[in-house]
Parts: sequence; C-alpha cells; structure tokens
Amino acid sequence: MKNRFIFLSWVAIGLAPSVFAQFPFGPPPAGPPKPAKAAAPIDLSGYWVSIVTEDWRFRMIAAPKGDSAGVPLNPEGQKVAAAWDPAKDEASGDTCKAYGAVGVMRLPTRLHITWQDDETLKIEADNGTQTRLLHFTGTPAGALSRQGYSAAKWQGAVGVGYFGNAMDSARGGSLQVTTTLLTPGYIRRNGIPYSDRTIVTEYLDVINEAEANWLVLKTIIDDPKYLYRTMIYSTHFRKQPDASGWNPMPCYPK
Amino acid sequence: MERFRRMAGLIWLFPILLVPAPAAAQVNLDGSWGNLEILHEDEPERLPGPELGDYLGVPIKNAARYRADAWDASLLTVPEYQCRVHPSDYAPSFAGIRIWQELDRDTQELVAIHIHHLAYSTERTIWMDGRPHPPDYALHTAMGFSTGKWEGDVLAVTTTHLKEAWIRRNGLPRSDRAVVTEHFIRHGDNLTLMTVIRDPAYLTEPFIRTRDYVYQIAGRNGPYPCESVEEIARPEGAIPNHLPGTNTFLQEFAAHHGIPPKAARGGAETMYPEYQLKIRSGEAGTPVPVVTKAAK
Amino acid sequence: MRNPKLLRNCALACALLTSAAYGQNGKAADGDIHILPVQGNVYMLVGAGGNVAVQTGKDGVLVVDTGLAQNAQKLLAAIKTISDGPIRYVINTHHHPDHVGGNVTIRMAGSTIAGANVTGDLQDAAVGALLISHFNVFNRLSAPGAQAAVPPAGWPTSPFMTGQKKLWFNGEGVDILHQAAAHTDGDSIVSFKRSDVIATGDIFTTTDYPIIDLQGGGSIQGTIAALNKIISMIIPVFGQEGGTLVIPGHGRLCDLGDVVNFREMTVIIRDRIEDMVKKGMTLEQVKAAQLTQDYDPLYGSTGFWTTDKFVEAVYKSLSDKKSGAK
Repeated sequence: MKNRFIFLSWVAIGLAPSVFAQFPFGPPPAGPPKPAKAAAPIDLSGYWVSIVTEDWRFRMIAAPKGDSAGVPLNPEGQKVAAAWDPAKDEASGDTCKAYGAVGVMRLPTRLHITWQDDETLKIEADNGTQTRLLHFTGTPAGALSRQGYSAAKWQGAVGVGYFGNAMDSARGGSLQVTTTLLTPGYIRRNGIPYSDRTIVTEYLDVINEAEANWLVLKTIIDDPKYLYRTMIYSTHFRKQPDASGWNPMPCYPK
Repeated sequence: MERFRRMAGLIWLFPILLVPAPAAAQVNLDGSWGNLEILHEDEPERLPGPELGDYLGVPIKNAARYRADAWDASLLTVPEYQCRVHPSDYAPSFAGIRIWQELDRDTQELVAIHIHHLAYSTERTIWMDGRPHPPDYALHTAMGFSTGKWEGDVLAVTTTHLKEAWIRRNGLPRSDRAVVTEHFIRHGDNLTLMTVIRDPAYLTEPFIRTRDYVYQIAGRNGPYPCESVEEIARPEGAIPNHLPGTNTFLQEFAAHHGIPPKAARGGAETMYPEYQLKIRSGEAGTPVPVVTKAAK
Repeated sequence: MRNPKLLRNCALACALLTSAAYGQNGKAADGDIHILPVQGNVYMLVGAGGNVAVQTGKDGVLVVDTGLAQNAQKLLAAIKTISDGPIRYVINTHHHPDHVGGNVTIRMAGSTIAGANVTGDLQDAAVGALLISHFNVFNRLSAPGAQAAVPPAGWPTSPFMTGQKKLWFNGEGVDILHQAAAHTDGDSIVSFKRSDVIATGDIFTTTDYPIIDLQGGGSIQGTIAALNKIISMIIPVFGQEGGTLVIPGHGRLCDLGDVVNFREMTVIIRDRIEDMVKKGMTLEQVKAAQLTQDYDPLYGSTGFWTTDKFVEAVYKSLSDKKSGAK
C-alpha cells in the first residue's frame, strides 16, 4: 500500500508537465519570445498561384471605365473612378497604381513567400514584379510607398478550457497583417481608387487538403476618403511544388 | 510520516482535476452572419445573377458547356422548378446564414453544427460525431450529407449525397457525383467560407470559392416562403431549352463587358495568371469595344 | 413464438445499422442485398437485380418486383429479416428478367387467403402469393420461347387489362397504374398511398438513359408521359424535396427533384433528336451529332444500355409513324 502511494505520486509528478501544457490558463512561459520565423504556427513559405474563379472580369482584365460593381465607393470615389485615364498613367510613368498592397494580391499572380530574416516575411508577386515586406517587429514609419508599411503578427489557434481561451499555436493559427502608409492606387485595374488614408487588414490562413494546399487571404479595406464602408473580400491561392509558371511581368496601365 | 504518505498518495488525483473541458468547439461559429451588405466580390453574379454565357474562371468540361448553352431561364417558370432550392454549396454564396451548435446535454460534446440559409430557409446539418456517410443508394438532397471536424480553429466539412444542381445559376451544372469540402475560418467578427467543389462529371479541376460574412449582433433572417403557380400556359412536361447552336444570347455577356469571347467560354486555363498572356496576345479573341459614358 | 413487432424493430435497427455501418463502402453492386427503410411501411431492397420494394404490416408482405433469378433466395432471406409475415402479393412492374427472375421463389414462399367455394374447386388456390401485373406482362412471360425464363409458377395470377388495379393492404391503399408504351408495353407504377412512396419500375432510373424496349412495346413518348404522370403524383414538402419518395427501377432512393431532373434530360434529348428527325437526318447523322454529350457523364454507359442504343430507340420512336410519333 505504502509503495503504491509512492509510486502513484511519482507518476503524478512525471505527468504534471504534460498536463500543465493543456492547462486552460495557457502553458507557462518558456524563456524569451521566439523570433517570428521560429514562432510561426503555419507555414506560408513557398510558391502560390492565384486561382481566379471570382471577380474574373475585374481581375484578369481591366473592366470598362466606371464599372465598380461590388465596390462600396462613395460619390467622391465614383467621381475619381469615372475619370480614370490609363493613357495618362502611362504618360506619367506611373503604371503600377493597380499593383500596390491593395491591388497586387487580387491580381492574377504567383506569389513567392520567403523569410527575408527572422522577423520579416517577404512576399514577391510576379505580376508587376512587386515585393511586400511584412514586419513582425518595429512600428510603421517612413514615407508613403506603393506597398506601404505592413505590420504582421501571428495568431495562434484558440485553446479550450474551463476558465478561458488560451492561444495554442501547436494547433495552427493565422497571420494578421495591417498595412498603412500607402500611396494612392487602384483597388481594381480600371481605376477604382484608394487613397493614402487607407488601412488594409489582412488575414492569411493555410488550408491543407489531401489533394491541394490553399492559401486564403482575407482583405479588409478601410478608406474614409473613397469608400462609404469597409470593403471585404477573400482571395485564394493554391500551393505549387516549385516555381513553375513564375513569370515576372511589368506593370500594365490597364 | 503517515500523514505525508497519505498526502503523497493523493497527489496523483491532482492532474485529473486539471484536465481541460471536453473539446466541444474550438471557436464558436454560432450566430447570424450576413453578407448582403458586403457583396464586394462577384456582386453582379451573386445578386442580380450571372448572365447567360458567363463561364469565366470555371474549370468546366465541354459537357458542362454544352449543357449550359442549352439552358433557358424560362425553365424557372415551370411549376416544379419555381421553388427549387439552392444547394448547400451555393446557398451561402447567395445570402446570409445562421449557425448554431447541437450539444449533448449530459456530456456537452458537440453532436452537430446546423446552418440556416436565408435563401429558401433551407437548413443543413454538419455531423460532428464521427458518423459515416450513408451508402450510395441513399437519398440525395440539396443540402447533402455533411460531416465535419476541427482543424485547429477551422471547421472542415465534407459533403456528399448532393442532388444535381448548379455552379452558377445560369445553367452551369454541378452533378450529383460531386464531393464538396468547406472550411469555415473565423477572425473576430469576420467569417470566411472556403468551398471546393470536386465534380468528376463536369469539372476538370477543383473549383474553389471564398465568401465573406460579418457577424450580425441583431441578426435575424426572415422567412423565405415559396409557392408554385402556373405562370405560363404550356403543354404538360414541356421543358424550355435551346437546341444546339440556336442560343443567340450567349455572346451578349462578352460583348457587353468587353470580355474576350473565348475567355467567356470558361475552362481551367482561364483561372490561371498565364491566361493574361493569351488575352494580351489576342489568342482569347478580340473583345467588342465597350462604349462608356464620359466622366462628369 | 416469435414476436413479429420485436423482430421487425430489430430488423429495422439492423437495417439502419447495416446502412450506417457500410458507410462509404455501402455500394449497391457488391453482391449483397441492402435494405433501406424508405418511409411508412415501405422498404427498398437493392442488389437483387432491379430494385425491389417491400411493404409490410399486420396483413403480411407485399413485394414489388423480384430481381434476378440467381438472387431470389438471397432476396427472400432479406425480406424475411424485415418481416416473417406471409407474402400475400407480388407485383411486377414489367416483364424484364431483372425484375421477374425471382417470381417463382418469392411467390411460392407466400400464400393467398382463399375460401368458400373457390377452395373447394381449386386445391392449390391458397398456394403462393397473388402475382399482379398488367396483362401485357402475362403475355410476354407466357409467350412461346419465353417460358424458359420464368416458368408458369412465376406468371401473373392476377393480371389486369384496364389502366389500374387497387388494393387495400397493411392499412393503406396500393394503387397499381398501367403506363402505356413507356419502358415496355406492360409497365405499372405502384403507389403506396399512406406511406407516400411510388415504385416506378424501369420507367425511371438514376443509372442510365431511359431504357426504351422497342421490341417490348416501349417508346419515348410513353416514357415521357409516364414520367409526367409520376411527377403529377408526387407532393413534395418544399421545393422539389421530401414528401413522396420514389423507388426507381435501378439506382438510389429518390424524390421529386430526381424525377424532374431525369424528365428534363429525357425531354431535352427528345427535343434535339426530334428536331433532326424533322429535318430528315439519318440515324447515323443523329449519332454523329453527339446530342447527349452534356448528359453522358451522368447517364452514359458502355454496358447493357449504351448511349447509342438510347439514341437509336428515341430516333426510331420518333420516326415510326405507326407509333404515332409527333
């Protein structure tokens, strides 16, 4: 009897760490926070190809001028959209307005996602030969730019317990990105505008199926200058095993 | 010493008390989720409806194209078709949804997740209790038979036993052989539904859609009654359809929107970025120039 | 003494468990007889050849079609798991071997309630169930040369010549409706009124293009008329679903939506072929036009009933002036 109690006590002590890992208040901190690359709950790296099954006539080609179906443009935005002149953009040398952080992810493109360093995720798009940097540390600063400043953070999966919801990155998660400091550009190729006051919030999720892996990008656009409400849509990409089809292209004015 | 031994003996009970609650749901998807106010993608297709001949970006086989070309919208005036509901892989695209869980009262284990669609007030059940799908000779329904599981915080659903229906409601068919997978992804008050349709009869590749919803604090879907009536006098059993090669409306869509005519015919190649090269080179056909109104 | 109710409930539970246990492996063509409770008193049995409908209750058992001869014993055993009540009626929807092959076995396993002066004169009056069909089925089965397929013990004992025969059995009306010149010239559809189930025979299937036995008196016009009749008899719960359920001759359990889809396909292909017939096209030209290409992924077959055979049957139906083609 005495030996049994002692034995069970040691078993309990041995089990304690694994039990505490499930403990609803969350696992105890294990040293200094990991770099973003090491802490990633999902793997975004690799080549992804956009599968254009939605909004085809706004993405694969430039829709006719003024066609803003589905975009919550306010009167000011509609006025700007109606004045779109691709020849003028070309003449001014600014043919990449549709390839900013807002537009480029929605264009038919391939993405190559890699880690520039432990705290910076790099997204390259072959359409328009654009590069976005997602920063896990630092604060938005600097001049306005086509791709703006993107602040990124991981979101772990929500844990389960009696007492609350603790993050459990071991069960997956997603990437949240907030982009500001954007120069004015186009939401769509036919000159549907966004202003320099735009804030873009994105969520990137990876969905793994037996036959294919998908990247789901949710985009939330707030532009008090040209939109009367938040614009929300999702874009999807399929994972590619390699760089097949990678074809850097210039920006086209339309 | 005896007291110590007794206390030590009770230590093994402690971890049991800390076992987390049963994993009823990783995130809670319950609630009303609206999308009519955020039809920010595919709005022309989803609300007014897709135009005849719009097969853009759908990886269809020729059989699907042939069938869609024959489709006549007057079919919807036939009494048996008037109240035909949207299938579960299309209904959430059309309008909002309401989600709720069914828990076992005693164990609080998740038995099922139910979804109510605004469109036609249809409801579907996603079984979360591990039950198998029915045999192949069981009834097919518009909602199909769905089973789900959690992948992290994402609800993954597989649906079989669907009735024949449509990918777009302009005649593009989806057969009863299809298997549909869905993933429900919640971020705060935003929900994304990713749907992948694999149809060996009519698709050459999986067809993927992603739709977005916002949580509605005061959300409530109204009823959606439907009653069939005789709208047009026609012989019993007459089915409106276009004979092969006679549908003159098919070119209107591409012409109206300045779309290369071959692109409008759809097919897997139209989904990929490299199709832009075919468009620019003229291989996809020359679009009819669209005259737009001058800016004010 | 066995408790029939208990046995039935156990069998029902077994059937449901069997259905569930098959899961994704529940295939109709695996050699076994699969039992699917439909609704009310009616079950669908799959795997005997053509689908079999079984109605049970305190009055006994009614069987619609009997599958292939080689599966008859298995079918009988399967029926016995649903009910050990006496088989009182067998109904044949038409004369094809995959629907009448088990007539002898199933019928002779049953019995008929006979009495009064009939039993005095006919010593075997009570032997075997009553076998009901349209008279044309009797003619086909009893024709010289056809007797080897189904011996006399398997011929209809109660054929009807008018458009309809009615029964009251197990607490509901059973309406047997003749459909002229559809799949064959002897087709009947069987409607279980309270259970709200219709067994259609091969007028409607989910596995093939409409099977039109021209030699057996079938036609495309009659097939479409029969499909229209079936549709008119169905009351769905909402839209095209639920309510009246339909047991097809082959394939899965159905409801209005499935029959409507099948009719839609049939009418559209008929329209296409008819258009070419009116233009004087030959059968070869019609086949070359591939007018069924949009439905081939669903109904096309290289088996017994090929797409070509279907097109040919429709063409001949429409071209044959004797059949009154329009």
